[in-house]
Formats: sequence, C-alpha cells, structure tokens
Amino acid sequence: MNGHTADTSPQMPAAPQLPNDVREGVFVVIPAYNEAQSLGSVIRDVRSLYPNVVAVDDGSVDDTYTVAREHATFAVRHLINRGQGAALQTGIEFALRQGASYIVTFDADGQHDANDIAALVRPIHAGECEISLGSRFLGEATHMPLLRRLTLQLAVLFTRVVSRVKLTDTHNGLRAFSRKAASGINITLDRMAHASELIDYVRDTGYPYREIPVHVRYTDYSLAKGQSTRGALRIVFHYLMGKVMP
Amino acid sequence: MIGLFQVAMLTLAGCLCIGSAVATVKGWVTRREGIVWTTVWLAAAIAAAWPDMTTVIARALGIGRGKDLILYCSVIVMLIGFFMVYARLRALRRDLTLLVRRLAILDSSSAAEHAPEQPQ
Repeated sequence: MNGHTADTSPQMPAAPQLPNDVREGVFVVIPAYNEAQSLGSVIRDVRSLYPNVVAVDDGSVDDTYTVAREHATFAVRHLINRGQGAALQTGIEFALRQGASYIVTFDADGQHDANDIAALVRPIHAGECEISLGSRFLGEATHMPLLRRLTLQLAVLFTRVVSRVKLTDTHNGLRAFSRKAASGINITLDRMAHASELIDYVRDTGYPYREIPVHVRYTDYSLAKGQSTRGALRIVFHYLMGKVMP
Repeated sequence: MIGLFQVAMLTLAGCLCIGSAVATVKGWVTRREGIVWTTVWLAAAIAAAWPDMTTVIARALGIGRGKDLILYCSVIVMLIGFFMVYARLRALRRDLTLLVRRLAILDSSSAAEHAPEQPQ
C-alpha cells in the first residue's frame, strides 16, 4: 500500500505494548546535545519498555555522555558538535550495525512519551507500512505555545508546497522505520533541516507510511531547548540551500 | 603621464600576478584557479595603466562610465568568490561530519555493564 493513512481516533487510550520478541528488535535512537538534565530520565523511561536504546551525544559540553553511558544500552559520542541531523544519522547507522529490525527516533528533552513507540512500530511490524511518523496534531500536545503552533503549521504548509507531501506534523522527532526503510536513509543536512530531508526521503522512496497520533508535552525546559522562530527561518534557508547545492 | 597611484597599482598587480603564477606552479592552487586569478590581476593592471580603456569598454557595453564597469565587475567577481567559498565550506563540513561519525561508531562502547538492571 502506498500513500498516507491518518489514524484519527479522538480518544487516546494507553497503547498496548509490543510482544517481547518484537521489542528486542526495536532500537530507539536518542540524539542529545547538552541534555544532561533530562536525558537520564528519558532513557530510563524508554528502557523500561525497550532494551535497546542508542544515545548519541553530539559533542556536548556538559555531562550528557556520562549520563548516556550510565543509562543507555549503547552510548555513541561525536567528538565535536555536528547537529541533530548528523547525530540521528550516526545513531541510525549504529543501530543498523547492531542488527536492528525497527529503528525509532526519539527526542532527549522529555517531550515524547515512550508509551507511543508501540503505536508507531505496530503497523510496521504488521506489514502495513515501512515508516510511521508521529503527529502531535492528530494526538495531543500539552502546553504548546500559540507561536510554536503557528510556526509548526507554517512548516506543514511549507512541506505541502515544496516537498508536496501531505502531513499534519512535519517536525516531530518521534518516528519509526523498518530496517529496510532505515537502511536507505542518508541525512546530509546536519542541523535541524534534516526533518524536511527525511520527509523528502519518504516521498522519493515511495515507502508506504502512516501518521500516528502521539503525545508531545511542552515544559519550560523543552521550550528553552526548542527552535525559535528565527531558528525556523534558518532551517528553511539550510533546506533550500541543500536543494540547490551539491 | 603615469601618476603615483598608477605606479602603485601596477606594482601591486604585478606582484599578485607573479604570486598567482608561483602558487599555480607549486600546486597551492589548481591550474584553473591560477589562470583565473592571474587574469583578474592582469585586468586590474591594464585598468590601472590605461584607465581610458575602461571607459571605451564600458561605452561599448552600454554602461556609461569606466568606473561603473570596474565596480560591476568587482561585485560579480566577489559574489562568485563568496559562492565558491561557501560551496567549499559545505563540502568541508560534510567531510568533517563523516569523519566524526566514523570515529564515534568505532569508539562506541556498550554501556550495558554500567547501567542498572532493566526493570521487569
């Protein structure tokens, strides 16, 4: 099946978890830059459900790597900061080398809910799609500032016009890929524009994908770490430059 | 009659031409880059030695004044230069990321022996 199917259930009950044999094949990749404050609890939450967590320290200057080594199954470290896109690609390549059957990308700032991973992996495991993309607008986003909502909606519009892909949430770091789909990922935009690059990958490969309702919770900490409106403009610039330059 | 400014400009352009030629011979720049920059310095030397020639060329191109022609050419050369530098910088950043990634994966360690037991 090609194309887009949105699961638009109004309620959001807690998703039943995956069988143990499936969970063992799930590798959760968490890129982190100066996230020592939140990373430990995020990894513990994920690891309580999934045994394989790959934490990628993107050249942090705080104790992120120490926390990663203490809590994650695998701790990978960039010697210098290269950007979230670069860290994700590193984590994906590492997970593939470890034999991952499913690869999930997950943010380190505590915005995502580990209980949502099952809903993302389940349709891939069932063979209904190769890629699952989390959507806060189909699911639930608590304490989202209005300006952030507007910026994200503009991003959705931008993606529909430029990438010609119809999604409800184009910059959600919670995604799942089959091994087959993950093997072809080659993120070249090292910074935050990688999200648009991944959407272009979904379009270009024609892999069937689904948008899955997920929870995103905003805290003062995560808002401080997130993208400003000026940062969003920088993302657009880097994405467009990536289109015209080799 | 050649003025002091023209002498200074011709001397500078001459040195830069020689420098470009030496850099090309020694392999510090590619042959194409050497030819381009030598041409640029030669053009600067000619414009300095025969400033009226720029006016002739400008009028032939419909620009008007020789100094305007020099200004437009300078802007175009600078923009091309900026673009080339930006492209090189992007390529360097890309190579750096690939190198950092390779090192990260090679050096990665399993933290399982350090982590607490996974909750049941």
